[in-house]
Amino acid sequence: MFKEFIQGLSITFKHLLPGHSTTVQYPDERLTPSPRFRGLHRLVPTQDREKCVACYLCPTVCPAKCITVESAENEKGEKYPQVYEIDLLRCIFCGYCVEACPVEALEMTAEYELANFHREDFKFNKKRLLK
Amino acid sequence: MVTLTIDGKQVTVARTATIYDAAKEAGINIPVLCYAKKLLPYGACRVCLVEVEQMKGRLIPSCTTPVTDGMVVTTDSEEIRKVRKTVLEFLLVNHVVECPVCDKGGECDLQDLTYEYEVVANRFQGEKFDLPTDEVNPLIERNMNRCVLCGKCVRVCDEIVGYGSYSFINRGFETKIATAFDRGLDCEFCGQCVSMCPVGAILPRPFKFKARPWQLKEVDTVCGYCGNGCTVTLGVKANKVETIRFNDKTGVNDGNLCIRGRFGYSYVNSTERLTTPLIRKDGQLVKAGWDEALAAVSKGFKAAGKNLGIITGARLTNEEFYLLKKVAATVGTTNLDHSGGECYKGVTEGLKQTLGVTASTATFPQVEKADAILAIRSDFYETHPVFGMVVNQAVKRNHAKLSIVADKRGKFGKLPDARSLVTKPGLELNVLNGIARVLLDEGLAVTDGVAGLDELKKALAGFAPEQVAAATGVTVDALQQTARELAAAKNSAILLAYGLPYTAYSKELATAAANIAILTGNAGREGSGLYLCGEKANSQGAIDLAVLPGNQGLGAQAMLAAAAAGQVRSLYIVNEDPLVSYPDQGKVEAALAGAEFVVVQDLFLTETAKQADVVLPAASFAEKDGTFTNAERRLQRLHPGITSPGSAKTDQAIFQALLVSLGDKVVYTGTEAIFDALKAGTPYAGIGYADIGLQGAVWGGDHLTVSKQLVPVGGGATVDAPFQLVTGSALYHSGTMSTHASGPNAVISAPYVEFGREDAAALQLVDGDMVQVKGSGCELQLQARVDNRLPQGVLFAPYHFASAGLNRLYKGEASVAVEISK
Repeated sequence: MFKEFIQGLSITFKHLLPGHSTTVQYPDERLTPSPRFRGLHRLVPTQDREKCVACYLCPTVCPAKCITVESAENEKGEKYPQVYEIDLLRCIFCGYCVEACPVEALEMTAEYELANFHREDFKFNKKRLLK
Repeated sequence: MVTLTIDGKQVTVARTATIYDAAKEAGINIPVLCYAKKLLPYGACRVCLVEVEQMKGRLIPSCTTPVTDGMVVTTDSEEIRKVRKTVLEFLLVNHVVECPVCDKGGECDLQDLTYEYEVVANRFQGEKFDLPTDEVNPLIERNMNRCVLCGKCVRVCDEIVGYGSYSFINRGFETKIATAFDRGLDCEFCGQCVSMCPVGAILPRPFKFKARPWQLKEVDTVCGYCGNGCTVTLGVKANKVETIRFNDKTGVNDGNLCIRGRFGYSYVNSTERLTTPLIRKDGQLVKAGWDEALAAVSKGFKAAGKNLGIITGARLTNEEFYLLKKVAATVGTTNLDHSGGECYKGVTEGLKQTLGVTASTATFPQVEKADAILAIRSDFYETHPVFGMVVNQAVKRNHAKLSIVADKRGKFGKLPDARSLVTKPGLELNVLNGIARVLLDEGLAVTDGVAGLDELKKALAGFAPEQVAAATGVTVDALQQTARELAAAKNSAILLAYGLPYTAYSKELATAAANIAILTGNAGREGSGLYLCGEKANSQGAIDLAVLPGNQGLGAQAMLAAAAAGQVRSLYIVNEDPLVSYPDQGKVEAALAGAEFVVVQDLFLTETAKQADVVLPAASFAEKDGTFTNAERRLQRLHPGITSPGSAKTDQAIFQALLVSLGDKVVYTGTEAIFDALKAGTPYAGIGYADIGLQGAVWGGDHLTVSKQLVPVGGGATVDAPFQLVTGSALYHSGTMSTHASGPNAVISAPYVEFGREDAAALQLVDGDMVQVKGSGCELQLQARVDNRLPQGVLFAPYHFASAGLNRLYKGEASVAVEISK
């Protein structure tokens, strides 16, 4: 029995040795999330405008109802989102919006440091999402 | 009746039904793109293919194949699905797949079918069209790259609207829908094509990129413009009416609407709407609270007492009319009248004397089956376009004989075999008398149980067809033919529109029309009717509820005269802009100046409201709950779609608050309670509020029982002048309200005077020239328009626009002698 104790504890003690810790010393150290990580949204730009055509599929599919889109017509007669806003306090990061997008105008980035001091700062408008 | 089997289900349907109709009756859904209930079968899309046991070997289009006895139909099988999928693949060869930016996305028939039949890939390759979109007009956008060539727009424009804007051009793969010479759409903008298009090829421009169909809340209500009472379904998003949705399930209009109904809703959202009450302080109208405004109004009304005059527009609901009558009773005045005053009253008085009724004697759907139709005064299409579409169908589908007695040509005159009896202005009466004379002379008249025959014969002595022809310019032959057709018809319809710009001879015209109805046997016969069509949404309600001067009370015109003379001390003008819409602006001006205390209740700061002491902000039809009664006596429910801007209130709420501040203790729990209270002693007595269903409720049944008393009427008088001006309604507008709506304004936004081609040539005028119109001691500067509707020497100017000042010239006559200079 004693032997088994030692065997088991040796694994425990091995993990206490330097180089065996899974804890990351955030913020000194940062992990690289996996490529399919669902962090902050990003609107994909094209040369002169956002790729988004304001089809309203993302606010429709959104289970948390956190996306606000208002479409309008630009000078070229194209449909574009005059307003595009995501309320991250409501967002559940399910990624349905990205899945629903017919033009691949929305993607989710690896950005996960989203803490902030003011409620308004959690509302991401078109300008911030295009960054 | 024919019995057939569809998918194992026995169905019995009418002999005229198609397989599609039969399946629908049996609750079996067959997919379609080119089929529409109100259009004739066409068979363009081939999506509705089914299998018929008796016609093995090929698939049969169900929407064009009539049913036969014992037919065995299969609507869904592996083979059928395969073929339908192939058809969809063919359609998608050319159709651009831009669903994310297409406003039809979400309610597109092609999109739905593609999804249902899982068309995920296309076996066929072809060129996508890259045709330019048709954006030449401000209301309807056409993108022919999305067109599936179902031809619904072509057919609706031809069959229902009778305009014929569209046709197919080119051949084979190049086939497309185009307007004349492919110049782009320029029509009457009723938008029927928009409502019919199964894909996003024809879309309403004012709704472009505004919302997705699934985001819209649909509210069925009744159009607030004319007396036709069309159901409009508001598409509401975020408390804003964004569009009018297609709806052929409720109401009487079969989903048909005119430009006003479909594109005229925007005044509801206007930023110019009044949002707070205004009170005049130191000569300026300043914003005030409701308490202050109501206190001022009730103080002023109490001070005026029986010297208060109330003039109301006819766009209030029945419930509001009732409350307004209560306001009058509480204040103690009998000076109450609804808009049009003597004009409307004349028409109803004329009918009362002859037929003993004050409403249309039959309902709209019967007109479709009429054999002969007589439209009196003005082209009916301009005042009541959707009723006009019913007439179109009667003429085009059932070959009804249509005659129009008017002072100008209109759209009706262009229908197949339509007879325009164009008279000199003011002489319509003579033509009607002439027709009556022919009926009597040729022994065609129905005289059984008819009173007053001898007096009429005596009065018609001077109206022999030849005499009438000489006086009016209508041919003897036309008079005789019209009389013979009307007398021979099994079902006939006589149409008479009335409204503010048609004040002259209103009583006489109604009487003469009723005389013809009696003599031709139209009166009292099932299937026939005399139609009295009011200009405003609830004109008929105002008549039914007797919003009229009480004992020793004054009518609208008398009230204005008395106010000018200082006898009527206070005026309460509700939902009307008499300074613009009433004949004789000077008289209204004098009345407003003469009255000590003027209260105006309206949506906008109208010309009249600018003169008021207190202005109360009211609500539009889209914000109201209640009932309207349309021109065929149908009561229909309004449902509020949005809330009023600012602190504006519905007229119902304003009247209730006013009643409370006047000391009335009765408070109603809701609209239904008011309706229950108003019924007693009116034709609505037998109708419960809950009975007013999707199709409304017609009081008095489909046929009103009428008396047959002929009343002699004299002829009219015409003005002897080289140019005479007539006024009336333009197709694109209704009253003064539509001038605040961006849709109608996009087509016609400024006043104009219309010339016939001959006059324009003689005066060397072209479209857009400015002309001086001088008459009745004043001079107007108006833009000229040239068309081929007017006879020589007659000019036409619509009355809707405040900036025209037309009623400085027009004082209620049939026509005004004018001089024209460039």
